[in-house]
Amino acid sequence: MPEEEHAESLVHVAIKAEELVEIGPFTVTNSMVGTLIATIVLLAAAWWVSRNAQTVPSRLQSVIEFPVEFMANIVQGQGGHRWRSIVPLILTIFLLVLTANWVGLLPGVGTIGVNWTDAEGHTAVHPLIRPASADLNFTLALAMVAFVAFIAWGIKANGVRGYLKETFVANPAYMTPIMTPIHVVSELSRLISLSMRLFGNVFAGEVLLAVMLALTFVVVPAIFLGLEMVFGFVQALVFALLTLTYITLAMAGHGGGHDEEHDEPHGDADDAGLSEQYATAGANRP
Amino acid sequence: MDLTPLAAGLAIGLGAIGPGIGLGMGVSKAMEALGRNPEASGAIFVPYVLGIALTEAIGIYALVIGLLILFV
Repeated sequence: MPEEEHAESLVHVAIKAEELVEIGPFTVTNSMVGTLIATIVLLAAAWWVSRNAQTVPSRLQSVIEFPVEFMANIVQGQGGHRWRSIVPLILTIFLLVLTANWVGLLPGVGTIGVNWTDAEGHTAVHPLIRPASADLNFTLALAMVAFVAFIAWGIKANGVRGYLKETFVANPAYMTPIMTPIHVVSELSRLISLSMRLFGNVFAGEVLLAVMLALTFVVVPAIFLGLEMVFGFVQALVFALLTLTYITLAMAGHGGGHDEEHDEPHGDADDAGLSEQYATAGANRP
Repeated sequence: MDLTPLAAGLAIGLGAIGPGIGLGMGVSKAMEALGRNPEASGAIFVPYVLGIALTEAIGIYALVIGLLILFV
């Protein structure tokens, strides 16, 4: 780790979340503070809406309802007739990631810090708050939730046997030795690409803001703040949409679809699925 | 001489070429489709965002490799 050389540099870049305080064996990092802020904002909004909701929404209620309606409409269009059971998960992911991304745009985040002395005696300034999505732990945990969710929905829709057959047996059976490893890798790469995409975007955004703040004068970083606001929204949308697509793909089944365990005719959700299936498992399709 | 920063710069610089071209093609086709048929914006939007995200993931991989070279 080239900490010594970078200690004097203008921009503070740390790829992992930094420690703030130690409570017994438990170390509080600054991304935990960011996560906590995002959670509190969401809980407060939910609490306020559940108390004060009216048929004719007030301004604040409309603001809170907008992302919910927006996401629910998309899920309804994509998720087929089972969309109601998917909505809570997708909506939670979307709102949490959105709030966690936008925490990074608050004034003082990444700039106000505390002095921290590590075991070797080096002292560095650790920012007090770090947006949760700029920590790989947070995004990987979310991606794991999505991963477990789409496997669970696949099993629920197609049965354990149907799911295993779809995952491990290719459509022309003689292709199985070639297709199965590819398929397994593509399933696992979803986990990596989901988490890395969100982490990379938000982390790069934070670095971009810090660099711009160090290089330019007062007004210019504001442009990039606006840009990061858009990116934060798009990344939250992408994470939620990809989870939704994976779930609908798992529910609809991948291949030929003559499994007797299917408890529903598939078609609409399958067609609504995306080019990812063609890109990764194209040979599975008839 | 320490070439680590150069390696990281090359990783993200070269890695951004492909996704850059891909994003340009994707967005231009989406805009074309939107121009031909503005009513289809709702149907285009979700596949568009997903396609953009999948393309952009390649660039993010390059970024991650660059960060790994720099910090690990």
